[in-house]
Amino acid sequence: MRLLRWEAFCAIMGFALTQVFILVPGPYPMALFTFIAQPLFALAAVGYLVKVITDLQRHRSL
Amino acid sequence: MNFDFLQIVMVLGTLLCVLGVILCIRTAGTRFDQIEAGDKDVNLGVAHVPALAFAKLMAFASLIVLPAGAVFLANYHTFEGVHEVRGCAGCHVMLPMANDMKDPKSGTLAARHYKNRWIAENQCYHCHSDYGLSGNLEAKMTGFRHLARYTTRTYHEPIHARVRFDNQNCLNCHAGTPRFEAVQSHKTAHEKLVSNLMICLNCHGQAHPTSVQRTPGSDDYARLTEKLK
Repeated sequence: MRLLRWEAFCAIMGFALTQVFILVPGPYPMALFTFIAQPLFALAAVGYLVKVITDLQRHRSL
Repeated sequence: MNFDFLQIVMVLGTLLCVLGVILCIRTAGTRFDQIEAGDKDVNLGVAHVPALAFAKLMAFASLIVLPAGAVFLANYHTFEGVHEVRGCAGCHVMLPMANDMKDPKSGTLAARHYKNRWIAENQCYHCHSDYGLSGNLEAKMTGFRHLARYTTRTYHEPIHARVRFDNQNCLNCHAGTPRFEAVQSHKTAHEKLVSNLMICLNCHGQAHPTSVQRTPGSDDYARLTEKLK
């Protein structure tokens, strides 16, 4: 594992949209959280896990 | 000092999101392959952690733990928020129902329940507990569909419910009460009411403003779609 740059960027966007929804609840912030922030978090988590698993396989830990 | 769930969620959610952003920025700037084994350990107060292990822990926290916490809190916020009348009235198309309910001059079933304080709070949710984001999984999916259609403006006014109203929402409170049981027609129609072959509104009138009243351009439309006080 060298970098987690795009994963971190996805998570930052997710946190920002989640923060907007938490502070200003309404249909549009709710939609941003539901349909954009959550998939961004999922994308970040999947990217992270793929890199961790690849890393472990390279080091013969898996 | 009283804190309601909304304030707690706001504070916790803000803390999580701010911490998450800070850790993500740190993670984004970390080159894991350049952290040397000889780099100085990180002092956590109770233990010294190798720099590489600490960076990996931070990455795990920022990309897995904190997002999971933020998602949990925001979803809790969603599913609790939709119990409140203001949550429903947040969508423009629901304003006629909410405004009519709060109108003391209105004779609709919702308004009668409201002005007589038969339901003290979360009035929408009490009668529609099986609907949308507050209902079961299928109802939640419907709620998400409504959210998507509302925010993409792919709907037409007046809106129409696709689902049939479940009498059980009424019977949850009314069934078994002396006033309900004293009415002979309730006993006669009991099976039909329980199986939704007959709806309560057949005898008890309009629940909300009619679709004609909710149609843009109608005499009542401007009044019914005023911002909720």
